Amino acid sequence: MSPKAPDSRRDGSTRLVAILVLILLTPLGYYVVAGGVGARGLAGEPFLEPAAPPDPAVERCIGNRTAQEMRFEHWGYLHQARENAVRYGKRTKEGLDSCKNCHKSRERFCNRCHDAVSVKPDCYGCHNYP
Amino acid sequence: MKRRDVLKVVGGTFLTGTSCAYAVQWLAPSRESRSFEGTKKGMIIHLDECRKNPGCRDCIDACHAENGVASPEDKRWDVHWIRKVQLKKKPGGGHAGDDSETTEGQSILLLCNHCDNPPCAQVCPVQATFKREDGIVVVDHHRCIGCRYCMIACPYNARFFNFRDHEEWPANGRPKRSHGVAEACTLCAHRLDAGEKPACVEACKQGAILVDHIENETDAKKLAKATWGGGTDPMSVKRIRPDLGTDPKVYYVGL
Repeated sequence: MSPKAPDSRRDGSTRLVAILVLILLTPLGYYVVAGGVGARGLAGEPFLEPAAPPDPAVERCIGNRTAQEMRFEHWGYLHQARENAVRYGKRTKEGLDSCKNCHKSRERFCNRCHDAVSVKPDCYGCHNYP
Repeated sequence: MKRRDVLKVVGGTFLTGTSCAYAVQWLAPSRESRSFEGTKKGMIIHLDECRKNPGCRDCIDACHAENGVASPEDKRWDVHWIRKVQLKKKPGGGHAGDDSETTEGQSILLLCNHCDNPPCAQVCPVQATFKREDGIVVVDHHRCIGCRYCMIACPYNARFFNFRDHEEWPANGRPKRSHGVAEACTLCAHRLDAGEKPACVEACKQGAILVDHIENETDAKKLAKATWGGGTDPMSVKRIRPDLGTDPKVYYVGL
């Protein structure tokens, strides 16, 4: 029996565990990178200050959500609002057609992020957002 | 532990668990109360009133303006949410319940019948077409893939396909449709949700169209009599082809 056999076996299992851990952690790394892109922009510049300063008289349709939260989650909220309106007839102030009341320019408000992270939502084929 | 005891413990736990789960479901308040009132929305069209003004297109124009329905030059791509048609005799008809012989040649307003048992929703492979809880059959254009099964399934030919992109935005800020989705009358669901009347009802100068909660044919007859007075024969409140089993929700007076 060769004395090296147990060592090589241990190496093999260590390598296997290392590979498994790496595979398991891959999405995490992707998430960190993607989050960094979403927060800072590809060129590191700050994203989208509102096109019009928020009018205190206008009721905020996003409630108490922060701008950061809206950047990360707005599609979820929009989907929810859409589902409520189309499926259940609950039409609230929140929705794509309300965004343009404060954020006048789609070019500055939507497209800068969407272009940077290369997503192409097809909202604007039917919804008028100038 | 004996086999019998093990089975007792396992069975007892299972039974208790399931009954608790059901009890919780039954005791807890329902997750979300819907905004609908639970009754079915339906429409009554008084054809005698409508026919007093044969060339009138008020409801059609109002509907198409409200909903931004495209009317291209080429009639092949035309979309009608509501239109005037001549009824024909059913080819090879004559089975029980088929009244198409008596209604032959009549001019009527045709639109989505918002069936209680909608064939369009049954065949939709992506559940884009569905019946809302208040009985309005609508298309979720976000989900529609444009397979046009619903157009084949609809016995009233009330569904149309957007072969082309709309060129203009509707003036009232409503969304338009991109090409490749099917559409039909929504009974102006967005206006009903806001507590308004549908566009066609508002536009009709004859007062021939009515949209309300209509649960069944008896309701429709009562409502027609209450609206248009004693001259309305309750027996003349009918639907188109009820023999198909779709249970349509558009009733006609004077069909």
